[in-house]
Amino acid sequence: MKTKFKGMPLKTFCVYILGILGFFLVVYFAYHDCFLYKKTIAEVITTKVVSREESVDLNHNKDTLFSQKMTARIKNGQYKGRLIHLNNSYSSSGAFEQKYHDGTELFVSVQKDRTGLKGTIGGVKRDKEILIVAGLFIFVLLAIGKKRGLLSIISLAINVVLLSFVLDLYLDHRNASLLLLCMGAVVLFTVVSLLLVGGNKEKTYVAILATLIGTFVSLLIAYAVIQLTDGAGLHYESMEFVTIPHQQIFMAEILVGALGAVMDVAITLTSSMYELYERNKAISLKALTAAGRKIGGDIMGAMTNILLFAYVSGTIPMILLYLKNNSPLIYTFSVNLSLELARALTGSIGIVLTIPITLYLSRLFIYRKGDKR
Amino acid sequence: MSVILWLTVILFILMKIVGGDKGIKAFFALFLNFAVFSVSIIVLSFHKNVLTITLIACAIICVINLFFISEINAKTMAAFISTITTLLVLILFIFLIEKKAMIQGFGEEEGEEIGSFSLYIGINFTKIAICTLIMSTIAAIIDISISISSSMNELFAYNPSLSKKNLFYSGLNVGRDILGTTTNTLYFAFLGGYLTLILWFKSLPYSFGDVINSKVFSSEVISILTGGIGVAISIPVTAWISAYILAGRRRKKSGQTARHSG
Repeated sequence: MKTKFKGMPLKTFCVYILGILGFFLVVYFAYHDCFLYKKTIAEVITTKVVSREESVDLNHNKDTLFSQKMTARIKNGQYKGRLIHLNNSYSSSGAFEQKYHDGTELFVSVQKDRTGLKGTIGGVKRDKEILIVAGLFIFVLLAIGKKRGLLSIISLAINVVLLSFVLDLYLDHRNASLLLLCMGAVVLFTVVSLLLVGGNKEKTYVAILATLIGTFVSLLIAYAVIQLTDGAGLHYESMEFVTIPHQQIFMAEILVGALGAVMDVAITLTSSMYELYERNKAISLKALTAAGRKIGGDIMGAMTNILLFAYVSGTIPMILLYLKNNSPLIYTFSVNLSLELARALTGSIGIVLTIPITLYLSRLFIYRKGDKR
Repeated sequence: MSVILWLTVILFILMKIVGGDKGIKAFFALFLNFAVFSVSIIVLSFHKNVLTITLIACAIICVINLFFISEINAKTMAAFISTITTLLVLILFIFLIEKKAMIQGFGEEEGEEIGSFSLYIGINFTKIAICTLIMSTIAAIIDISISISSSMNELFAYNPSLSKKNLFYSGLNVGRDILGTTTNTLYFAFLGGYLTLILWFKSLPYSFGDVINSKVFSSEVISILTGGIGVAISIPVTAWISAYILAGRRRKKSGQTARHSG
């Protein structure tokens, strides 16, 4: 009999303990990693609100503005251990600046005068929060998903590294087409993700093929529509952080963004079709197709909704800023949502198109092997 | 005609051809969902109680995606309760993280965009950040909840003698099977939207430290990770709630039969 601890195999128990220990080590490290930074970091020790003022802006929005004075201890560099005085102003809405609390770590630039050290704040140090969330993410996915959770984490990690690599490649060869590079990347993303999710089986390859066809056809449709209408109604100017031509990066975004949903549809459908066939090898072509279409109809709504909300939700803060600054409603929505909606719609077209493509391919492969009827 | 209109028409035709009546229903659900989204933003712009509005909006979205697409029955009811419970847990989690990481509102990199606006608009952007994160994963959480609760119902119908514990574990297994694909859907949707941001950071002279500590980047990382966490925790929540409801239904039924025979 194997040793058990509270009903848990000893090995599993050790893995959990190691995982939790590892998590705390990483967090401990993140709290003490100031020596890695060249920029000066200071931890706020005391804060005091020195002024408070009601504000009404041109559009009659009421807000409260505060100023706070803080003392902070410098944690790295030549002034390590010394105290520094900082000033901060913020509003109660906190759209841009925020209130700092005791214990907040800030990047500061230091000026020396006769009374001591003064500084200006250059930003908040957020690395430990990211590590904590990442640690919790890994913990939750492993604890709940076990092996599936691990595969989901690996899939995310590989895809992020791949994407980063492709973008580096693009930046090194500026004359290369980002869209073409992303198309290459999409093939890799699909193969890697679906092999991780579905395993090395025939149905996985059918799903890969269906995903690629579905994705590229939907991209082609979006491209054709944009060309034919000359991009009417698309507000490329609302894109943030743009360093290269708008349309190119927009098409690349469409391509990558819809991929996950299209893969989901393809693998769900192929799995169901293969399982139906395995359970009852005598199933007729017609019955199998009908069953596949029914499943396709069921998942279509859910998948298109996931894409819609994942895309449009990010625009909420900006839309509110527009509306509160008295921008007209229709104008605000069309400027902020046109690109997101175009992406969600193209992705949805991809999802719907992938259903018949997957059905057709699965049928082809299922009836190719074994008895042909 | 504008691009959006064309794409909408194409999507409608495809949904009709591929899904038939179900496709048309799904299309209208999509439209209704977008309407709820738009109306809730408008309400947020003049109403202070951000979290309540977010929860009400999410509840309406659940009603559309569960009760309008299917009907009110044990399956959809279990999925509804599970989704709302998951959201409450997630809100608490995001609230704690958000307080520490301070990722609300806009980053320095967006200065040019927002420069012409007044930023003192009296809206609590910390709560808006929570609202944004919740809304971006709501549909994924509904999807995984309904998948688990339907499978458990079917299983229970075939094996009415299954214990509550066994029902719970089979629910977990169903959830695990779809965890990978659902999280992938979210990951790619988010990654697609971050292309410009990643290119921006890569092409300008930012150090690694600058990037991970910046508000815009860390908020994107936290969104993608919270999405995964939300989908994952909805699995045990749904499995437990469905098991509880199914076991309760059995107790009621056996109570009735006992009374009839006695």
